[in-house]
This record gives sequence, C-alpha cells and structure tokens, in this order.
Amino acid sequence: MDSDAVLGAITRCEPSAQARGQSDTLAVRVPLERLLPLLQQARDTEALGFNMLMDHTAIDWPERSCFELLYRLYSTRHGHALLVTTEVPRENPVAPTACGIWPGAQFLEREVYDLLGVLYDEHPDLRRVFLEDSWQGHPLRKDYQDPDMLAAP
Amino acid sequence: MGLILDKVPAIIEPIPGGSIIVTTIDWAINQARANSLWPLAFGTKCCAIEMLMATGAAHQDMSRFGAEVARHTPRQADMMVVAGTIVKKMAPRLRLLYEQMAEPRYVMATGSCAISGGPFMYNSYHIVRGVDEIVPVDVYVPGCPPRPEAFFWGLMTLQKMIKQGESIRHPGTRRKPVLAALPHGVSASDIRDEIARELERENEIVLSEAAEARPWAKKVREWIQTQSSAQ
Amino acid sequence: MTVTIRKLDELLQPPAAAESGLNTQEYYVNMGPQHPISHGSLRFVARLDGETVKQVLPAPGYVHRGIEKMCEHLSYRQTIHLTDRMDYFSALMGNWAVSKTVEKAAGIEVSERAQYIRTIMAELQRVQSHVLWWAVLGMDLGAFTPFLYGFREREIISDIFEETIGARLTMNYVQPGGVMYDIYPDFAAKVKKVVAYLKPKIEEYDTLLSGNVILQERLRNIGVLSQEKALAFGCTGPVLRASGVPLDLRKVDPYGVYAKADFNVAIGSRGDSWDRYYVRIQEMRESLKIVEQLIDNIPEGAHTTTKPNVKVKLPEGVHYGQLETSRGILGVTIVSDGKEASPYRMHFRSPNYCNLWTITELAPGWRIADVIAILSSLDLVIPELDR
Repeated sequence: MDSDAVLGAITRCEPSAQARGQSDTLAVRVPLERLLPLLQQARDTEALGFNMLMDHTAIDWPERSCFELLYRLYSTRHGHALLVTTEVPRENPVAPTACGIWPGAQFLEREVYDLLGVLYDEHPDLRRVFLEDSWQGHPLRKDYQDPDMLAAP
Repeated sequence: MGLILDKVPAIIEPIPGGSIIVTTIDWAINQARANSLWPLAFGTKCCAIEMLMATGAAHQDMSRFGAEVARHTPRQADMMVVAGTIVKKMAPRLRLLYEQMAEPRYVMATGSCAISGGPFMYNSYHIVRGVDEIVPVDVYVPGCPPRPEAFFWGLMTLQKMIKQGESIRHPGTRRKPVLAALPHGVSASDIRDEIARELERENEIVLSEAAEARPWAKKVREWIQTQSSAQ
Repeated sequence: MTVTIRKLDELLQPPAAAESGLNTQEYYVNMGPQHPISHGSLRFVARLDGETVKQVLPAPGYVHRGIEKMCEHLSYRQTIHLTDRMDYFSALMGNWAVSKTVEKAAGIEVSERAQYIRTIMAELQRVQSHVLWWAVLGMDLGAFTPFLYGFREREIISDIFEETIGARLTMNYVQPGGVMYDIYPDFAAKVKKVVAYLKPKIEEYDTLLSGNVILQERLRNIGVLSQEKALAFGCTGPVLRASGVPLDLRKVDPYGVYAKADFNVAIGSRGDSWDRYYVRIQEMRESLKIVEQLIDNIPEGAHTTTKPNVKVKLPEGVHYGQLETSRGILGVTIVSDGKEASPYRMHFRSPNYCNLWTITELAPGWRIADVIAILSSLDLVIPELDR
C-alpha cells in the first residue's frame, strides 16, 4: 500500500491520529491515551499488518516540556513503513508499554528509560541497560550536567 | 624463582667477581621474560581485531616474538594488551584483571582510546580518558587502530625495556629506556655533546663586550675622548 | 499505574533446590565481560543447573560510549567517523547509512561512479565480515584452523581497502555526496583477482567446516528461532532470513546500484543455528557475484559532489535512512531543528541490539556449550549494540 492508503487506513482505525509534518517518511501523531489501541490495530489489521517494531526511541524537547516518543513500524508482508509519534509530559513521563504487542519492545523501552528517563507502565523488567544501576541522571536529556564530560575547545 | 631473586644477590655479590654472576643471571632472566611475553587477550573494541586477532593470525604472526600464547585468564598472562575503549562500567573490571596478574606484569596501551580516550574524548559521559588513569602503562602504541606492525614496534620496545631495565638487585623497579624512544640517526652521545656545547656557550664571557655593556663604560669612553681631544 | 524500577541484584534470587533426585543446587555464573568469545565485552549472568542453562540475563553496556550524545555536538560529516567504530566489520555500510540519510534530507546528488564504488566496497566488506564471522565461529567451537584461514582472506581484502582508502578497519570513506577518495587506476584488475581467488576458497571452507560432522551436530536443531518470535523481537539480517522471512533491503528497497545486479537472497527454513550459519555462507557467494557483475562497469565521473569543508544543514524535522549491513538493518534517525549544523538528536537503530535479546528465549534448556554456539551463530558485534 502506498503512503496515502496507509494514512487513510490509520485514520479510519483511529480517528484521533493526524499526519505529523516535518518527516520524510509517513508519520502520524496520536495522543498518549490512544497510543496502544492504535499500535494494536496497526499490527492486527490485515491490510496494515505491521508485524515488526523496527525502532523505538524518544526525543527530548525541553522548550515544549515534553518527550516525543517515536515508534517505527514495518510490515514484512506489504513492505510499507509507518512512524507513530506521541508526547509525554516532561514532569511525569509515564507511557504505556508496547510489550503486549511486540515482546521485543521491552528492550527498546529499557534503553529509552536508561538514557532519557521515560517510565513505562506495566513493564515486566524496567531496569537500566547500558549504565550501571547506581548511575544518577539520564544522560541524553538536554539538561544533563556531568562534571566528567569534557567539552571540545 | 623466589630463591634466585631473594637470596642469590645477597650471597654471591660480596664474593670477588660475584657481580659478574649476578649480571649474567640478570641477562638470562630478562631474555627469558622478554622473549616469551604472554598477552592477556583483553580486547573490547576495534583495536582487538587488529591487535589481538590479526597479529595472532598467519599474515602478521605474533608467535615469532614469543607472544603466541594469548591466555584468557590473567593468572597465566604476563602482559595485558589493552585494546579498545575503557568505559566507566568496565574500569573496575580492568583494575581487577590487572591485580589478578602475577608479577612481573606489563601493560601495553594500544590505540588512541586506551591512551587518551581517543575519538570519544569530548562530550562523552561514560568514557575513561586513557587507561593510565587505572593501571600503570609501560608502552603506548598510537593509532586508530594501530597497524599490526605498530603493535610489533610496541612489543619490541617492551622487550628492549625488559632486557635493559630490570635487575634482580632491585626487583620490582623498572627503568624505562630513553634510548628506545630516540629518533633515527640520533644517539645518546650526540645529545650529551650538544648539551655540553650549549652550556659552555651560555657560560662564556668575552670580557671586552661585557665591559662595554656596563653603564659607566660610556662615561669612561667619553672622558678618554675629551682627554685626547684636549691634548 | 504500576511503574517499578528494578536493579540487577534484585533479579539474582537465591538459588532454588533442583527438581531431580540428586541433591543439586542452581547457581549463578558470570560469563564476561572479558571472555574468550571474542565478540566484545558482553556480560551474561547465567543461572545454571549443573551445566544446563535455565536463564540468561545479558548485561550490556561495557562499551557504552555515549555516541548518540556526542553526535549532538558534531557536524554530520564528523559523525561519520563514529559510525566506523560502532560495527567495525561493516564500517563502510555504517558510513553509508548516515550519508544516505543526510543526502536524502538535504537533497544532495550523488554521482553514478560514487554509487558503484560504494556498492562494490560494501559488498567486499560484507564478504570480509562474514569470513571473520566464520573464522570466529570455528574458534568458538574449538577449531583453530578456520581462524587462520579466515584471517588470511581478510588480509587480502584489507589490502584493497588500504590502497584505496588508507585504513584497514575504520575507514570513514563514504561521505554525504560521494566517497572521500577516488579509486586508483588498476582497482578493477585487483578486485577481479581477489574475487577469482576467493571463489574457490569459499567452496573450500564449505567442505572444511560445513561438512564436518561435529559442526553439524553442534549447530543443527540448536536454538530454533521461529518466524513469529524473530519478527516480534525485531530481528533483521541473516538471523531473520534464517527463520524464513525474506527481508533483505538490497532487494526490497534497493539503494546504491543493487538494482542493477542480479543476485539471490538466501532464506532458511527452520531457524536453527545451522540455518543461520549456512545463510551467511551463501551470502558470501552472492556478494562475490554482485562484485563480479559491477566491477567492469564503473562509469567515469566525479567521485564526490560536495566540497570537504562545507557544513551541511538539514531541514527541520525527523529524517530516517536505513540499509542492510552484514548483521541486519541499520537505521539512522536524525532530528534536526533546522538552525544548527549538528543534529538535535541522532539515533542509531542497531541490528545487534534487537538480535541480542533473542538469547533470553533461545538459551534456556541448552548446555553452556550450546549457548556459545547459539551466540556465535547470532553474530553479534557488541560496540554497535552498546553505541
């Protein structure tokens, strides 16, 4: 299916999903509470068939005081891709986990928790993955201060 | 081994001609140690491919230097080749491995990550800038990654250090040879001669010039002039 | 809302008494971060009952350098030298992934000559990477001969890289706009000689190791990864293809000049370690076929369309590019705020990160030696998954 058809199918499943501009691949933006239903339908609908979660990451926008979560989906049956974005507030960054839909998501979410500090509700094993358990802070945040980091002259 | 190191120098050296025996024992032990350095295969990253695996393979052969037996346990290794980036999570393990090695032990820091943090020096929150913050390093081999031939240069420098530097008179002390680091065509006597010449030149005083530089010299000259013109 | 944050120590429960008649006890063993499986510094905490592995907890992060944070302070050309050091066996393909994304976002044209050079170099590197994987697999399973043979072949391909690029391992060669240096005049003749040399060698390796009954016993039906599980974990590359899913970006979404080459994609049927092994052997043959087809037709032209010191600025938004490295799909997400010459956020979708976690499903029930065989067949490169 081409991009317009996929976009049409998504908005039919989930009316609150809107196209997200400023992306070179097909992207939709969805409010946080409708994220899991959209992801579930994206996987289960025959025409969409997004059976792979390629990537999950997050972007820190301090001036909008939110984290933008990105879910990059891919369908091996049809060969189309979709980017789903949503926003969580920065003061209380709790998002639902996508482990129920794609079990591999739990590890991608652990990485986002480790480096950015986004918490996942009902995650089976939310632990730091790269840094030590006793590390303070989340390095990829824009306001992360570390006296050990050396800035280039 | 402990008998030779602890007791022999004290017993043999006072005998007339005893120091010859001690230096021969020195020479033999140092030859044995230098020509059979067993590396600890401690590679974390890209340097490990070039330093440990490519040098161990057939094209560039590490075993012609006696270093073929790359043990994976520190108890059986002499030399730790730190090949790769060391990060803060790995640093305590590196120190543990170093302390598990038995004396005499040597450390070779290969690659720019192990020397100074390398390409990851700036803006990284997790890196240790140079493995010499954790373990004492004997030889640094620069490169990113160094060629296997550069690794052999480092190995040969370490062998030279061992053959020249250690003595059973002072076990545990190692003298790093300045001579191994000299560039081509320069020898230690050249440097000595140049330093002597510069010192002599600094300390030469030509009396007439020194006298001219004094402030009263001008007045004396003018007085001589007036005297000679007055006559 | 139940968000519980845990620590590794909490998961290491006191061992339970075992089920069978003998009075045994389960215990935890640390495999790594320094161990003879030379894939890098990866630590596994394995819960063992005798020699059978009951649970495996991978603990990566021993080579985590914070590359994504570093990229926020570098220009796009400068981030390319960091991609070399992630998956260093597909260094050129890592460079190409970032270059591709920047070119598509900024609208930079690439000459046909540069695309040919990139494709040929990438396929040579794929052969080099798979030869090293084969060598290390032999070494992990106890055979040292494949290690020596494999490195001999690696040196021959490294010579080509060194003559063209100047570096053997970390290349920094593919830049947005083309490649850094042009190929030298008898490049085609040398590459043809190397291909003619390697083709019978791969058949020799097939007979040497694949035909060996010990290897077959150690790899057949060990660590079976079903198609659904592979897709659910997000596996890509030979691991996914061995489980039966025909996803190869060189065919599905061709980039470079792959569309001009005629090659097959190796697909496995059962998803066990043997399939993962043989898919890579077959890929080596196909890569040599691609190089043979392309090497005589390199068109004339410029090797790059951008000047070295020009700073590229990408338009505002999220940009994505992906390509097929020797281990899977490497995806690059660049978020640009439209004003700076450095990315606002750069994220690498690492194929090894997703492939690693299948070990938590594949390992339980097998013995330690089988777990080593499964890990070798997954072909992980730890610095890429640690970034």
